[in-house]
Amino acid sequence: MWIAFSATFKRQLITMRRAYPWSFFIGHILDGVYITIFAYLSYHFIFQGQLNTQFVSYTGTSDYLSYVIMGGVFNSFAVSLLMIVSRMLINEMREGTLEALLLTPSSRLGYFLGAAIQGLMRSGIEWLAIICVGLFFGLNLVAAHLALLLPIMIVLCFALFAQALVLGGFMLAFRDTYITQNTLFVIMTLVSGVSFPPQFLPDWIQGLSLIMPLYYGLELMRSVMTHAAPSSDILYHLLSLSTLGILYFAIGLLFMKRMEKSVLEKHFG
Amino acid sequence: MMKMLTICQAEMRKSHRHNFNNRLIYFSMFLWPIIQFINAYYAFKPFNLGQNSPLSRFVPVNKLGLFLITGCIAYIFFWSLVQSAWMMGYERQQGTLELILLTPASRTLIMFSRAAANLIEAVWMFSIFAILTIFFMGGLHIAHWWLLPFAVMVLLLSAVVWGGFLNTIFLFSRDAGFLYTLFEAPMEFFSGVRMPIMAFPIWAKVIAFVFPLTFVLTILRAIVMDGKTLGSICIPLIELAIILIALTAASFILVRYAEKHAKETGNLTFF
Amino acid sequence: MLEAKHLHKSYTLKEKNGWLSRRKQQIKAVNDLSLTIEKGEIIGLLGVNGAGKTTTIKMLSTLLAPTSGTISIDGINAVKQPELIKRRVNMIAGGERMLYWRLSARENLMYFGRLYGLNGNTLKQRCRALIDKVGLTEFADRPVERYSKGMKQRLQIARGLINDPDYLFLDEPTLGLDAPVARQLRVLVKSLAKEKNKGILLTSHYLEEVEELCDHVSIIEKGHLLLQGTPRRIIQTIVKDRSLIVVMKTLDKENWHWLKQETDKLGIHAQKKETNEGTRVDMKATFDMTSSFLALAQKRNLQLIRFDAKKPNLEDAIIRLTEVHD
Ligand SMILES: Nc1ncnc2c1ncn2[C@@H]1O[C@H](COP(=O)(O)OP(=O)(O)OP(=O)(O)O)[C@@H](O)[C@H]1O
Ligand SMILES: [Mg+2]
Repeated sequence: MWIAFSATFKRQLITMRRAYPWSFFIGHILDGVYITIFAYLSYHFIFQGQLNTQFVSYTGTSDYLSYVIMGGVFNSFAVSLLMIVSRMLINEMREGTLEALLLTPSSRLGYFLGAAIQGLMRSGIEWLAIICVGLFFGLNLVAAHLALLLPIMIVLCFALFAQALVLGGFMLAFRDTYITQNTLFVIMTLVSGVSFPPQFLPDWIQGLSLIMPLYYGLELMRSVMTHAAPSSDILYHLLSLSTLGILYFAIGLLFMKRMEKSVLEKHFG
Repeated sequence: MMKMLTICQAEMRKSHRHNFNNRLIYFSMFLWPIIQFINAYYAFKPFNLGQNSPLSRFVPVNKLGLFLITGCIAYIFFWSLVQSAWMMGYERQQGTLELILLTPASRTLIMFSRAAANLIEAVWMFSIFAILTIFFMGGLHIAHWWLLPFAVMVLLLSAVVWGGFLNTIFLFSRDAGFLYTLFEAPMEFFSGVRMPIMAFPIWAKVIAFVFPLTFVLTILRAIVMDGKTLGSICIPLIELAIILIALTAASFILVRYAEKHAKETGNLTFF
Repeated sequence: MLEAKHLHKSYTLKEKNGWLSRRKQQIKAVNDLSLTIEKGEIIGLLGVNGAGKTTTIKMLSTLLAPTSGTISIDGINAVKQPELIKRRVNMIAGGERMLYWRLSARENLMYFGRLYGLNGNTLKQRCRALIDKVGLTEFADRPVERYSKGMKQRLQIARGLINDPDYLFLDEPTLGLDAPVARQLRVLVKSLAKEKNKGILLTSHYLEEVEELCDHVSIIEKGHLLLQGTPRRIIQTIVKDRSLIVVMKTLDKENWHWLKQETDKLGIHAQKKETNEGTRVDMKATFDMTSSFLALAQKRNLQLIRFDAKKPNLEDAIIRLTEVHD
């Protein structure tokens, strides 16, 4: 597994250096930046800083801009990571290398992890870029539970990785990337509390946020980076996120295995 | 004109065949915009939307829904054409673009016909959704009934010109996906789809006036929300007309140039 | 030894008819096929388009699971233990697929090598050796997207050899290659079998290639085995007709009558035609008639300008076979 991991990591690194996917890169950064600018303009120029009292009671903070900018930052991060991992196999299929890959007796998990860790470098750069922009538009970072930052980040990445496996399975099943990924992303952005707390939504839509790692990730990240939340909340969210991650991981691995087989059968050429 | 109709018909038949098989259009032109519309609506929820809301300086709070849905529908018209231009990338990859340029039909005509043909195909679903939504929300205020078809015509015409221009631009570019991301959000953002541009600071207003969609939206909203008459919107109408003429002229010049460039470098197939 | 017994493979095609209902349709791509490949042997798999060659190769290389039947390679069950088999086999397909275009030749080989569990210096050396072997030394560090078709194909071969497989499956490896490159490839394949003692299965639509390389040939049609044997045997059993074309300056009526009578006696069917070269006689028989005709010609002292004895080849055999079965 280690060799497959490092080989894939290196391969992706070379590919990235040789042909950087600029349009995805810029796209993800812009997505985050637009959410930021939108929040900034509405907050200052349309509403003159006047918030709804419900917002404060739902979120426990009156710092609207930090709330939304964090939403934009992590939404882009999640989208980027999900895309990188989930599109791996279907890209191999399109480029015609899937068979050559499956001919080898290598570990599939190592392969995906290699891609994910390499992708993390890319997503990380985008993430930093958006945060930097956010700082200009009123993102206030306070280090509330700094020690928790790293573990939370790791759990979030794991959960997103696991979700990406499931998403990748669907992509292989539908033989499509664009529709599948974007349908997930528009729903994810709506329900995960990116630019408004999901409590505003009708109950039945709100329920969807419970299966989105991004929702928990955002709650957690906000409570360690922008405003202090009670530790019991943090613990609860961290636990939910881990459980969700493990669940997705198990489903994702099984699903991928199945789809691999069926792709080989249905794929001409 | 007859020529344009034939080409238009051919393109329409082709894109119908094409899109009917791929479900993309149902998602990107119907499902996603609806979810994004809902998202836009709820994004206002954290703010003060009460009686004394600062929003009412630009839009009456009770017409926020109408404001957003008119924005969305106009946006969809324009957006669908960005997408159809993006599809040119695929035609280029499959080499069919080269085949099209092999025919004697006028290039610019093809670009505009393509836009017109794809427009109808793409927007009818969301249009129905929007009309139903407006119907249930109420709040329409129109001075003369004939201004409504007039507004629709303005919307259609400017969308086609915009689409033809985009098709031409995408003739050039190797990585059309890049332009796609560059056009997607700014257009939604700065044209006042989700926010009244009157509230923007100067720098944002300057960006706003790059997009013809801004003027179309101003006109559309003035007609359906504020009950303005033709006389009182003639200034934005003239501005829009100037922009459309400029875009058409630019398309003509660019097509010439693109074809010349392609002949020299053969880069139409180089992807 | 690789042994495949009673392989079956059927694909399920789901066809949409109407909005929701779907009709399932079974396509039998391979139907009761048995094969053996010994080490050091080159086996040819022939058949028209869609006969099931690629499907067979994919099953042998564990990419596809057979619907029924067994495959065992050196005593290991390939269906049950694909991981073990994958180390011992590899597959090379014609065309430009199965390579990472953004990587260079060396990077491609290094990547695949690692996926086979190779590492460090062994891998580096093997990559270098393979690159030299397929003659890509000069271009080793150039991205594959800038390679020509032939170069990509050669790199594919290097990729197929990266794990030093005992059995190698080649699916139309010379597709689209020019004559000298195809020739080099054939030499390489031959040496792999004869010197390195690898078992090789080869499909190709170039029959001379198969005739030249293969020790045994299996001809399949619609997934079913039609014939198996050495190329010579197959030609002999299928193509009974041989032809002989002779051109003479003149052939008078009397001589022609005599010739006709004599050939009829021997069971040769002869026909005369006047051409601007002279008089041409076309003869057909089920045996080699060269010597008997020469004896006749000597008797009457016939002056021959041209003498063509056409040897039947595998191509005739295949065409004959498929004609019979259609
Ligand atoms: N993935 C698939 N799904 C359904 N049917 C398939 C699939 N792959 C192949 N077939 C069918 O199985 C049959 C055998 O195909 P196969 O690709 O093995 O033929 P082949 O002998 O390699 O042909 P060619 O000489 O054209 O390469 C064909 O009828 C083909 O249509
Ligand atoms: Mg084949």
